[in-house]
Amino acid sequence: MENRPLGYDYTVAKMFMLTTIVLGIVGMLIGVILAFELAFPSINTILGSGLAEYTNFSRLRPLHTDAVIFGFTISGVFATWYYVGQRVLKVNMAESPLLMFLGKLQFWLYVVTVAAVVVSLLAGVTTSKEYAEFEWPIDLAIVVVWVLFGVNMFGLIGMRREKSLYISVWYYIATFLGIAMLYLFNNMEVPTMLATSAAGETGIGSWYHSVSMYAGTNDALVQWWYGHNAVAFGFTVPIVAMIYYFLPKESGQAIYSYKLSLLSFWGLMFVYLWAGGHHLLFSTVPDWMQTMGSIFSIVLILPSWGSAINMLLTMKGEWQQVAASPLIKFMVLGSTFYMFSTLEGPIQAIKSVNAIAHFTDWIVGHVHDGVLGWVGFMIMAALYHMAPRVFKREIYSKSLMASQFWIQTLGVVLYFTSMWIAGITQGMMWRAHDEFGNLAYSFIDTVTVLHPYYAIRGVGGLLYLIGFLMFAYNIYKTMTAGKPLEKEPANASPMGA
Amino acid sequence: MNKLYLWGIIVTIAMLGATYLSVGMSKGGINGDIVNMLAIAGAVALVIITVFVVIKYVRQMQTDTAEGELADESWDNIGEYKNPLPFGWAIMFLGTMIWGMWYMLVGYPVNAYSQIGEYNEDVAAHNAKFNTQYASITGDRLIEMGESVFLAECKVCHGLSADGIDGKAANLNVRLEANTVKHVIENGSNNQLLGSEMPMPDRNGLFNMNSGALITDAEIAAVSAYVADGMDASNKAGAEAFAGVCASCHGPDGMGMEYVAPSIAAFNPTLVTNVLNHGKKGVIGTMPAFERLNAKQKEAVGAYITSLSAK
Amino acid sequence: MFHWLEKNPFFFAVGVFVTIAFAGLIEIVPNFAEASRPVIGTTPYSTLELAGRNVYIKNSCNACHSQLIRPFKSETDRYGHYSLSGEYAFDRPFLWGSKRTGPDLHRVGNYRTTDWHENHMKDPAAVVPGSIMPKYTWMYTNLADIDTAFAEQLTVNQFFAVPYNKPVPMKDGSTTVVKMGGSVAEANALALAEAKEIVKDMKDQDVKDAVASGKIPEIVALIAYMNSLK
Ligand code: HEC
Ligand code: HEC
Ligand code: HEC
Ligand code: HEM
Ligand code: HEM
Ligand SMILES: [Ca+2]
Ligand SMILES: [Ca+2]
Ligand SMILES: [Cu+2]
Repeated sequence: MENRPLGYDYTVAKMFMLTTIVLGIVGMLIGVILAFELAFPSINTILGSGLAEYTNFSRLRPLHTDAVIFGFTISGVFATWYYVGQRVLKVNMAESPLLMFLGKLQFWLYVVTVAAVVVSLLAGVTTSKEYAEFEWPIDLAIVVVWVLFGVNMFGLIGMRREKSLYISVWYYIATFLGIAMLYLFNNMEVPTMLATSAAGETGIGSWYHSVSMYAGTNDALVQWWYGHNAVAFGFTVPIVAMIYYFLPKESGQAIYSYKLSLLSFWGLMFVYLWAGGHHLLFSTVPDWMQTMGSIFSIVLILPSWGSAINMLLTMKGEWQQVAASPLIKFMVLGSTFYMFSTLEGPIQAIKSVNAIAHFTDWIVGHVHDGVLGWVGFMIMAALYHMAPRVFKREIYSKSLMASQFWIQTLGVVLYFTSMWIAGITQGMMWRAHDEFGNLAYSFIDTVTVLHPYYAIRGVGGLLYLIGFLMFAYNIYKTMTAGKPLEKEPANASPMGA
Repeated sequence: MNKLYLWGIIVTIAMLGATYLSVGMSKGGINGDIVNMLAIAGAVALVIITVFVVIKYVRQMQTDTAEGELADESWDNIGEYKNPLPFGWAIMFLGTMIWGMWYMLVGYPVNAYSQIGEYNEDVAAHNAKFNTQYASITGDRLIEMGESVFLAECKVCHGLSADGIDGKAANLNVRLEANTVKHVIENGSNNQLLGSEMPMPDRNGLFNMNSGALITDAEIAAVSAYVADGMDASNKAGAEAFAGVCASCHGPDGMGMEYVAPSIAAFNPTLVTNVLNHGKKGVIGTMPAFERLNAKQKEAVGAYITSLSAK
Repeated sequence: MFHWLEKNPFFFAVGVFVTIAFAGLIEIVPNFAEASRPVIGTTPYSTLELAGRNVYIKNSCNACHSQLIRPFKSETDRYGHYSLSGEYAFDRPFLWGSKRTGPDLHRVGNYRTTDWHENHMKDPAAVVPGSIMPKYTWMYTNLADIDTAFAEQLTVNQFFAVPYNKPVPMKDGSTTVVKMGGSVAEANALALAEAKEIVKDMKDQDVKDAVASGKIPEIVALIAYMNSLK
């Protein structure tokens, strides 16, 4: 115990908690708008046709995905790292003024980058690659933010008093390395201002425009190697890092099995990277790559489920906690949704299933099982757990948290069931031939049938957003009006009524 | 019965019921399509496996107690048991790895499967079936078949009721509208409506054999209305102009002459087929050619369009 | 061995990196050269088409439309011949998409036409009742960015040897040359000439007037691009 710092400095963690919440609201609000635009297209011109260029579905969609991924989720990763990192390594950030400075620098640069992203995406400046839409000047800023994050991470690790790295730290390290590698290679592009015309003119056209280093099928391969693993290192690995810390910590239970942690971790690292081919099934990439993508997707179930099972078994014999604490409920249901989407993904990766599922809303359903039920739930749970310790106050309201839990659970269920049905229906209608061997449906027939499901999805998304606003309010009240705590709670976070 | 199982069964039934309803309502349905069946099987497996595996672990949360030997370390007071791997998980992990190896090295080694090969087989089978089942369709069945093609391919331009959506494409409920006729007379036409290159001259090549002069503005207006109205003899000026200028090529009744000029009095499948083969550019806009329809489908949609204005 | 790694962050990180890096090498590298060869008949984009492609990207049409026809009977019936790798040789970035809220567009040039696009982009639901595609009215007034499209042509020509001003083999054995301007002014003139051909088939008087006065609205460039998708 003498080896332990007297306290931890949560300045940077708090800053990123703020962006997690703000960007979460922004991203999800846009998600809800998108959902209703598909159900009721007149919403595309909700601010009048003059502004429709900035409010229509297609301009807003990348803003949704990037706000929730690079805004909400990545902020959550930063916030939790600057909390968990210090504690499991037994160091105080304040011990190094340099790291403190770099942490704050990272935050402010991050905020500036986010602002640039919002403006440029609204203006339609995009390279079109999913989850890698930004043009090169923003890419450069992101690289700097990420390097600062890495310096901080390895700086803290270098200063640690606890010699062996806790499981969560493995996952944070993997997050850092994985995203760094993927982002760099997928964003290789040549700025068009480098070209010279025969007449000797240079710097022609928009200075920020670029072309991808890769063309056609190659570009697709690199993109989905990235896209798939961005899911891995953005939506899976750092979230697993969170649950490995916050669930045992909140419940006071020891991790069920070290061996299971170990095998799941290395299994996940090894297998994930090979599965990207499942985004390119029946495309023009060679058959063998597609087959590998399918096979590794199936194998991937086990390392994914390994972590989830480890977490559920950590709660063995502790049912009363699950029943009593909405905070634990979030995490237990989170692991369950994680299991659901990591079984759903592999099933969709089977070629014949993908023949139907690809390009449809079933994929969108799969995405949101994971991001709403797993990523969203875990990040909110993490922040709930951090709040009393960071602000030294009781969580403002337990009953509000409990209602939020049920509202959001209903939201997720409405979201994925409607998209599941919509996707399978549409997939089958596209394939259908009629009694004469002609296509049974024109494309528009397969669009109009989806209307009720799009409306239900919109309602589900709206419920989730309402829950998120309840969360934001609860955290805000905790900061400002929660009952002050004398000393840090060991486990179960104290909550007001 | 345990409340959990009850919930598990309810969730499973709800998901699968909803899926069944939505699939059952669509025309394609399961219909012996292996891909559809596999997708449904996958969806079923997904729900059942998740629900029951989760129930298994929730039961453990409810009834078991945590125990085992703790590791020496403790991180921020988080301990770690040295419990062994859950047996079922370990076996399945090993099993899937072995299966994966087997699949790639023995079962379906690299390049044993070709998606294009599979596609070719599928198309060949479909075509063989098409030729035995549909190639000899005639009469009302042919028109029905044509309607099915029309609804899948043509309605995006010509509209559900083939009225051309307010002049955005040709109204196929009538053979011709006056503005089209007028445009053709003034500018000529070169759309291979006869199936081969045989243009119609513009107004500078259209003589009225009765008056011996080039067609006049008044005659154009009259004859356009005459053709568009279905050659109603009460339009005297139109009828005269027609007899003098047009009949020599399109025939006295406007029904066209082989190798000379197409019918402008009524649709027929051959005319429609020619439009589908070559496309058509006119005053309304451009009609694309439809290479991807086969000859029978073109004939069928021709029969359908012919039937629209024949009523 | 693992306990040792867990006490040595440097080797731990190296271990993770090696584990995740080599899958990429094996999956991506072997096919790289093969996939970048164009099939006969694939030509580079003209300046106006490229400007239209950038309009497509700017508005994220790829959020709803794929450009990848899979080898299934139902797809080739609906959209035409399945897509071939070499057809994308000049696509930077690729635009396959991952969601078909609207139909595939890889060969839309074969079965939709200038006038149809003109009507449709202005108000999709007026042409296709029940359509949920947004109206793209601003494209009729915003001007296409020809300069940037030209810079893009120069870039791919200089860095990736995309064959402009050079004969490209066609399916029927002949060759075509896709022209690229020698200067910004020349590029704009080429694009304008192409735009004039397209507005002949259009009805919107404002757009026609704009082109007549030397300006190119985004919709004209977009239609040039749509028509090039065959
Ligand atoms: C010299 C022979 C000739 C004469 C005279 C002639 N036509 Fe034609 N007409 C044709 C040919 C050939 C075509 C088919 C052109 C094509 O393939 O596009 C045609 C096409 C048409 C079409 C287009 C049909 C469609 O579906 O678009 C109309 C309308 C038409 N003629 C009306 C007339 C009228 C009215 C007159 C008299 C004023 C007339 N034609 C005189 C030869 C003639
Ligand atoms: C992209 C839009 C589009 C599609 C799809 C389309 N058409 Fe058309 N079609 C047109 C337009 C525009 C015209 C009018 C051309 C003109 O005369 O100006 C036309 C004209 C025609 C004509 C000639 C009418 C006449 O009186 O000469 C026929 C026949 C026709 N279409 C049949 C079909 C059939 C059958 C299909 C489906 C297999 C089809 N079209 C699909 C746009 C389309
Ligand atoms: C919200 C989704 C959405 C967006 C965004 C969208 N579309 Fe569409 N698109 C559709 C739907 C649904 C259809 C089918 C109904 C119809 O034809 O309008 C369609 C049809 C089309 C068609 C007709 C294709 C065919 O085969 O009939 C074209 C061309 C098209 N869109 C082009 C575009 C372009 C270009 C953009 C971007 C500027 C765009 N779309 C953006 C949903 C969308
Ligand atoms: C075992 C693990 C998983 C496998 C094998 C898997 C597999 C798949 C497959 C096959 C697709 C569809 C590709 C297509 O046809 O377009 C997909 C899409 C997607 N999945 Fe997963 N998935 C897994 C886990 C997850 C998780 C946990 C999340 C999120 C938390 C997630 C997020 C996504 C996203 C965002 C997409 C959409 C990509 C796009 O834009 O097209 N996946 N996944
Ligand atoms: C309030 C809740 C949300 C709603 C209503 C919502 C709605 C939507 C909609 C309508 C789409 C477009 C689907 C389409 O193109 O058909 C979408 C896409 C997406 N959303 Fe959300 N969303 C929500 C929350 C989130 C969150 C929290 C995340 C991530 C943490 C997320 C990640 C994504 C991703 C990755 C995609 C792209 C999927 C793909 O391309 O396949 N969403 N969302
Ligand atoms: Ca980029
Ligand atoms: Ca996508
Ligand atoms: Cu994936």
